[in-house]
Amino acid sequence: MPSWFLPAAAVCGLMFAASPLVIAGAPYESTMGLVQKIFYYHMPSAWMFLTSSLVCGVASARFLAGGRARHDRQAWAAAEMAVLFGLLTLVTGPLWARKSWGTWWVWDARVTSSLVGWMIAWAYLILRRYGGPGSEKLAAGLALFGMANVPFIYISVNYWRTIHPATSVVPTLPVSMGFPLWYCVTAFLLLFVLLLTLRMRVEAQQARLDALYLTLDERG
Amino acid sequence: MIRRTLARAAVVACVVVGCVATLPAQQVQESQDEFVALDELTAGDLPPEERLAAAPLLIGAYAFVLVALFTYVTLVARRLTGLQRDIARLEATIGRDGTG
Repeated sequence: MPSWFLPAAAVCGLMFAASPLVIAGAPYESTMGLVQKIFYYHMPSAWMFLTSSLVCGVASARFLAGGRARHDRQAWAAAEMAVLFGLLTLVTGPLWARKSWGTWWVWDARVTSSLVGWMIAWAYLILRRYGGPGSEKLAAGLALFGMANVPFIYISVNYWRTIHPATSVVPTLPVSMGFPLWYCVTAFLLLFVLLLTLRMRVEAQQARLDALYLTLDERG
Repeated sequence: MIRRTLARAAVVACVVVGCVATLPAQQVQESQDEFVALDELTAGDLPPEERLAAAPLLIGAYAFVLVALFTYVTLVARRLTGLQRDIARLEATIGRDGTG
């Protein structure tokens, strides 16, 4: 593992351990009250979900163009991150909505397109796992659709206004609410980089193990 | 005889149909006479069992995120440890075969 990995992991662990204290210090939102504090984990999860889908798409495009195994490993790792952070987003969102909207789920553009993006990431992983030889290029093509969905997810809430908060919420946050948000975004971003590195390391080690098995077979 | 039986059957059918047709309307009328708009109430007027507490949802959300992340990190770390162990074993085997 790279030399920066363990210190960064320690910093990330400390940031997550301290995050409840930082969030507890944020003021209550005037109409939603206590339940609005789900926002401080929900939104960073959603941003990491979108970042993962972008990284997966860019790495897949580079793999399709250049055919380097490193880009393929990066795309695979990022797709797994998209499934993980998408799950966190799609679970914390309904828990927040149940109290503030009175319902677990609404089929509005933001929520539905997020679900579609999450299912594309799942489809990528299923294709890689069960697709057999050659599936890496098919999966890379699928990842491009996942990446194309990202801007749609982001802007959908502004074009098709429903009860989901718009993107204008974040720039207009007061400092007392903005600081906990950006603190959590930093912690989640650090976690994303660490997990991506760890997951790529797993794929690199798997490739090395496969090469060793081939060497052993050749020697009889 | 047949005409009398048919007449009785028609009366019974009319009574049954009439009862069935009016039953749902009576049930609705008995269950609730009017709706009261929410803006005539305050949150404090709702009975405690009708109020949805925020704390379990908030704690549930944070607990789910932390448990899911911890589980994922544990699974990936275990897989990496297993791979490194297998690589070390295979390298030792190949090295032994190469020298022997």
